[in-house]
Amino acid sequence: MKPFRAARGGQLVARLDRAEAGIVGLLLDQLEQLLAADRADSSGDPVIERLFPAGHRSDPALAEDYRGLTEQALRGGKADDLATVRATLPADGGEVRLDADQAGAWLRTSNDLRLALGTRLDIGEDTEPPEEIVDEGDHQLAVYYWLTALQGSLVDALVAGRAGRR
Amino acid sequence: MAGPLAPTRAPETTVEEHDDLDRPWVTIVWNDPVNLMTYVTFVLQELFGYDEPTATTLMLQVHHEGKAIVSSGPRERMEHDTSRLHAYGLWASYQRDS
Repeated sequence: MKPFRAARGGQLVARLDRAEAGIVGLLLDQLEQLLAADRADSSGDPVIERLFPAGHRSDPALAEDYRGLTEQALRGGKADDLATVRATLPADGGEVRLDADQAGAWLRTSNDLRLALGTRLDIGEDTEPPEEIVDEGDHQLAVYYWLTALQGSLVDALVAGRAGRR
Repeated sequence: MAGPLAPTRAPETTVEEHDDLDRPWVTIVWNDPVNLMTYVTFVLQELFGYDEPTATTLMLQVHHEGKAIVSSGPRERMEHDTSRLHAYGLWASYQRDS
């Protein structure tokens, strides 16, 4: 991976290897399935609970109101972002070149992927990247930290781009 | 825990029975181990128009104290602010100011 950087014209540019693009594609498939799942089937799934948290913490009626008002739009927004990422992801690896709106979609979707993986892997403040890849858990942890680096570079590039526009 | 950066509160009412109605609602961001500090700062600037030092101070308050009030106002607006934060994956909720 060549991390994201701010390019001319406000664009954000990165480069992904074929294997990296493949992993992102697989994660998008999994997130898409999760978002499309019936609420009744996925209720109680910690990833769904994290992607759609309770709006109110101590009043179940208010939390239910909030869910009714917002969840459909939130799901729609996440699905739209995901579609944008898929459309701008080079399936066989290569350059990712994004305008500001597409960068917003990558920012939110990469965060959703990190939240989903981080919840499944029970990431805490003290979790460290794996020293070597022995099992599937190490592999997933490595993917999580790779996504962290990718998203971190996108945030930094957006901040740099914003400073450059002043 | 409200610091100098906390959003302004409505003035205290002297009429007892109006107290509950007049108390504003607040939107809170809670600490979580996944969201990057730079990301949280960026999102607070994007959504609320905070300058970089203000957004950074709020992010650090979330990180060190576990939560921070990021906006206050009528309930409907706090619901809206909470959903905008949820769209970015921040761990947010709204409640009456305590």
